[in-house]
Amino acid sequence: MLSISKRTLFILTSLAPLATAAPTLQIEATGTPELTLRGKDAKQQIIVTAKLDDGALRDFTHKATYSASPAGIVTIDATGIVAPVADGAAVITAEADGVKATFPVKIEGAGTRQPINFANQIVPVFTKAGCNSGGCHGKAGGQNGFKLSLLGFEPGEDYEHIVKEARGRRVFPAAPDNSLLLLKGLNVMPHGGGRRMDAKSDDYALVARWIAQGMPFGQESDPKVERIEVIPKARTMALGGDQQIIVLARYTDGSVQDVTRSALYEANEKSMAEADETGRVKLFDQPGDVAIMVRYQGKVATFRATVPLGAQVASLPPVRNFIDEQVFTKLKAMGVPPSDPCDDATFIRRVSIDIAGRLPSLDETNRFLADKDAAKRDRLIDTLLASPEYADYFANKWSSLLRNKRTEARDASSTFAFYGWLRDSLRANRPYNEIVRDVLAATGTVDENPASGWYRQVKEPQQQLEDAAQLFLGVRMQCAQCHHHPFEKWSQNDYYSFSAFFSQVGRKGSAVKETETIFHRRGVASAVNKKTKQPVKPAALITGPMEIAPEDDPRLALADWMSNRANPFFARTLVNRYWKHFFNRGIVEPEDDMRETNPPSNPELLEALAAKFVESGYDLKGLVRDITRSQTYQLSAVPNNYNKSDRQNFSRYYAKRLTAEVLYDSLNELTRTPSNFSGMPAGTRAISLPDNSFNAGSYFLTVFGRPDSSSACECERTQEASLAQALHLLNAKDIQEKLASSSGAAAKLAADARPDEDKLRELYLIAYARQPEAAELALAKTHIDKPRNAADGKPMEAVAAKRQGYEDILWAILNTKEFLFNH
Amino acid sequence: MAESILWRCREPVTAMLTIYGNKNAKFCDGVSRRDFLRIGGLALGGAALPSILRAEAQQGVGKSHKAVIMIFLPGGPSHQDMFDLKMDAPSEIRGEFRPIGTNVAGIQITEHMPLLAKMMDRCTLIRSMSDCDGRHDAFQCLTGRIFTQQPPGGWPSFGSTVSKVQGCIDPAVPAFVGLAPKMGHMEWARCGDPGFLGVAHAPFQPNKGSGVEDMTLNGVTLDRLADRRTLLTGFDQFRRDVDASGLMDGLDTFNQQAFGVLTSSNLLNALDVTKEDPRIAARYGKSDPKNRDDGGPKMMEHFLAARRLVEAGARCVTVAFSRWDHHGKNFDALRQDLPLLDQGLTALLDDLKERGLDKDVSVVVWGEFGRTPQINKDGGRDHWPKVSCALLAGGGMRHGQVIGATDRLGGEATERPVLFGEVFATLYNRLGIDVSKTTINDLTGRPQYLVQPGCLPMKELV
Repeated sequence: MLSISKRTLFILTSLAPLATAAPTLQIEATGTPELTLRGKDAKQQIIVTAKLDDGALRDFTHKATYSASPAGIVTIDATGIVAPVADGAAVITAEADGVKATFPVKIEGAGTRQPINFANQIVPVFTKAGCNSGGCHGKAGGQNGFKLSLLGFEPGEDYEHIVKEARGRRVFPAAPDNSLLLLKGLNVMPHGGGRRMDAKSDDYALVARWIAQGMPFGQESDPKVERIEVIPKARTMALGGDQQIIVLARYTDGSVQDVTRSALYEANEKSMAEADETGRVKLFDQPGDVAIMVRYQGKVATFRATVPLGAQVASLPPVRNFIDEQVFTKLKAMGVPPSDPCDDATFIRRVSIDIAGRLPSLDETNRFLADKDAAKRDRLIDTLLASPEYADYFANKWSSLLRNKRTEARDASSTFAFYGWLRDSLRANRPYNEIVRDVLAATGTVDENPASGWYRQVKEPQQQLEDAAQLFLGVRMQCAQCHHHPFEKWSQNDYYSFSAFFSQVGRKGSAVKETETIFHRRGVASAVNKKTKQPVKPAALITGPMEIAPEDDPRLALADWMSNRANPFFARTLVNRYWKHFFNRGIVEPEDDMRETNPPSNPELLEALAAKFVESGYDLKGLVRDITRSQTYQLSAVPNNYNKSDRQNFSRYYAKRLTAEVLYDSLNELTRTPSNFSGMPAGTRAISLPDNSFNAGSYFLTVFGRPDSSSACECERTQEASLAQALHLLNAKDIQEKLASSSGAAAKLAADARPDEDKLRELYLIAYARQPEAAELALAKTHIDKPRNAADGKPMEAVAAKRQGYEDILWAILNTKEFLFNH
Repeated sequence: MAESILWRCREPVTAMLTIYGNKNAKFCDGVSRRDFLRIGGLALGGAALPSILRAEAQQGVGKSHKAVIMIFLPGGPSHQDMFDLKMDAPSEIRGEFRPIGTNVAGIQITEHMPLLAKMMDRCTLIRSMSDCDGRHDAFQCLTGRIFTQQPPGGWPSFGSTVSKVQGCIDPAVPAFVGLAPKMGHMEWARCGDPGFLGVAHAPFQPNKGSGVEDMTLNGVTLDRLADRRTLLTGFDQFRRDVDASGLMDGLDTFNQQAFGVLTSSNLLNALDVTKEDPRIAARYGKSDPKNRDDGGPKMMEHFLAARRLVEAGARCVTVAFSRWDHHGKNFDALRQDLPLLDQGLTALLDDLKERGLDKDVSVVVWGEFGRTPQINKDGGRDHWPKVSCALLAGGGMRHGQVIGATDRLGGEATERPVLFGEVFATLYNRLGIDVSKTTINDLTGRPQYLVQPGCLPMKELV
């Protein structure tokens, strides 16, 4: 182990450049200016960084050649790993591209071996080899009678299982190499998991030595891992570049150890980068941001790589608000020029769909396109926000996430009431924190207090905590129910402490109906940690246990905690969720999985949005207004030569397929036929359906993925394409009937005396909010004028033929991508 | 860059057929296709997909991919009258049937399946399915899971999981097809739900709901459809590159396939059993479209359609055959139905073998539970979740064996109790899916293994 100094500066050891283009080199090891290795087994990865003449930093660790002098003190291999030979001091030299850098190393106690600590040294070997993964011995029941704790989160239990269980048959101190544990790991004895270790590896030698030492567990006083850190933490890298990283474990006694080769690595965007088991990160050929999650002993850290495209961002469209400032700053840094602002036709269709869940009407489109007012886009946004469809559309979204699910016919009064309350709250633009407070701390029956509808479907404290954490805080706690969260800091204690907020939720049957009454059961809120069997007090993630009097409803304390201005989760989660609604991609993606190891693509943007949202008093319409007024939102979806593959930086609008409900409504609008949902008035829009129960009767809504309100995740909505969808749009009987309806659009257009060109222009405005191109008009006109024969072979009568022509045109329009997508 | 793309698509093709679908099949699903596009980076245009499909065609992939046919016997067939006869039991338990020898010495089965007896060397009987959930539906036979404590959205069925993990082979033929006729008790006609994987991985069900209607032209002639298609091509000039997610290209692909289905296509051909060589079709026997009680008709042609679908590129086909819930007159009903199952199943197994598909296509036959040892006053047997049986064939497994045994009365497993999850693990293994490593994320983002913890491919079989 190494002692560390608290200083974190490092020294740039460089030689004078030989030529102007020559880089300068720098060596880093633990963040201190020299490296001290203590004990025979100490090892340290170093990295060599070149500073190019344009200031860019490049990793030369695997390019450099190494030497150490004087000889006989340390060794250094080609990958930059330093190991001790004898006590003394030496200097390591790295050389690349004709330049050199040096780094002093001190070796102490090279002849002595530190006693092995099971938790700190042996358990990580199993984690790295995958022995304790969830698919193997780490799952709840173990594997073939041998159980390890998942990812080694419980070293005490692992020790029992390896050393004592099965009468100690797994280890053989007299001849360590004959231990079952190692024979299986090498697959010398048949092993279902195959060969997991190499007999020549350091890991094997370490475990063998531990067995030879008599399997010490270590002392209670031995240091524990406090945190891990990554060097470097972040770097701007070139496309296709690579970077060696160093992972240091910092222990409770202040010591530090290189665990680069024992840690596990995973990229959040697997199409952008990968990291091998030695901690070498390789980028592919896509610009953007990527984070490498590093895990060791239940601790996590992140290495972030920024990969600029590096194009010239010569001119930017005018900044319209703070969103643009943050987005454009990022685009400049990334060298990604944004697309041009979109035209008015695109804008009115886009924003009407995104805010109100519908196509703009013909009248709205005509007026908007003719309007010369420079502020007309802002005015349109305000009109849409004031329309009832805004509330319909967002209530539809929240109703699904808040699991407003009807499973039986008699639930209808409850689901309708909860939906109605949500819709009214959104319509009235009640502050978001108040809406959440009403849901979380609801009491009474759904009749008296519709906000209690959430508790109707989300019944158990654990479900309540999991849904509340994911939905309102963007934190997925589920994993921590049974074990420490693998990618997060959350422990089982965090999980059960959070669930304690819901421990005093009482339910009783209501006298009038079968609905339940939700009430606060007087008493001290607490929950039992399933692992330790100890009771825990309510605690919200990061702020420690709360003292809540027995007569106070702990859920109110939770709601207060959430809407505390300093809460780092609550506002960020909401603004990110809404951002994704408009941009089809969260600043953190997925939108409800916010964690250190899944960082935002533009942290400043997320911060600014959240700050504004809090400052506005959690004004949801205000947030939508800010987003849609921004130039960023109003950029064209059409890429330029540079931003075609950009999916993180919002350099253009990302087109998205219309959702099941919006598509269905738009189709009815286009064909001028009413919807028909059982129990609802004819013509009810799909976006204003109060619950999920209508999916069962509508193949259209089902096949296009309308969610069933079974989960708090937006991902329940399926936006994937399928053959069944294509068949349905091209050939469904009910769509065919809509096209052929005698009161539908085709019949009306055929009977309309105006010239076909006028009617076609109108159709284009309805479907796409734009005028047809000359070629499109000509194509459509030709199709209408084509001679048609009836089934008996005789020419059709003129109106009937024209009607058929219009049916075909409507059919073709509703199958175009321009119609199916918001763009 | 072009080189790296080719390398990436060629690699799985040449490496091993079983993992082929893992990577390439992503193209069947509009969204995952973006991963490919991302790898390809900036210069990759719409040309990628056709070139991949061409590469596939050149490799001859699709001829002999791995697949599973799951035959569900709704209602729970009586194990002790089919595969586990108890001649030493008292008469109120023993039943009316006699065992016959098979072409494997020591294995006996019911006298009413003489054709199967002649090919027992190509089958395995499991007599000790021991963790039946007890529900009266197909859920466990389709998912391998028990019904309670499901993650939000529910457990996906086997075929949906395969569709998600491996995708489809021919984009015109869905990876997962469910063949179930309309039944009185519709729970038995379920072909498998996609659960938390979402509707994109639902089985294609040609016999059910709007899915069927959509496959045959509704109210327009073929000529008019062709006319419309030309018109659509003219109109649909919107720039595809506004969508970098690949979904737009995905829709285009599905549109092409859908037109194929509506005009003439592999999928329709596969489903159209009249296109089969009449001599071969005759082996499968005649369907009886009448429903029995609240169950389904005896659709012999589904055995044939299953084979045709697998040949056309399906990875999983489920078949729900007849109805086996005989609380009364058990033996009369079985005298009628067992010979039909015998004929359909053996025709399928023979057919697979003759076509060289028996190493690639696994077949499983089972019901949701067994039936009571004691024969009731109506000459029937009631529900018995303590034990049931299964038959496995094909798939390159070791056959000609019996796994597990029950006690003297056929009431409980006494040897090698087998879990549904183990059979599922074995079937995944046959498709080249490693259940100890593969996970799918549920709606909470939690990675879920494909089978219940602890279940591994059965050593007796693979």
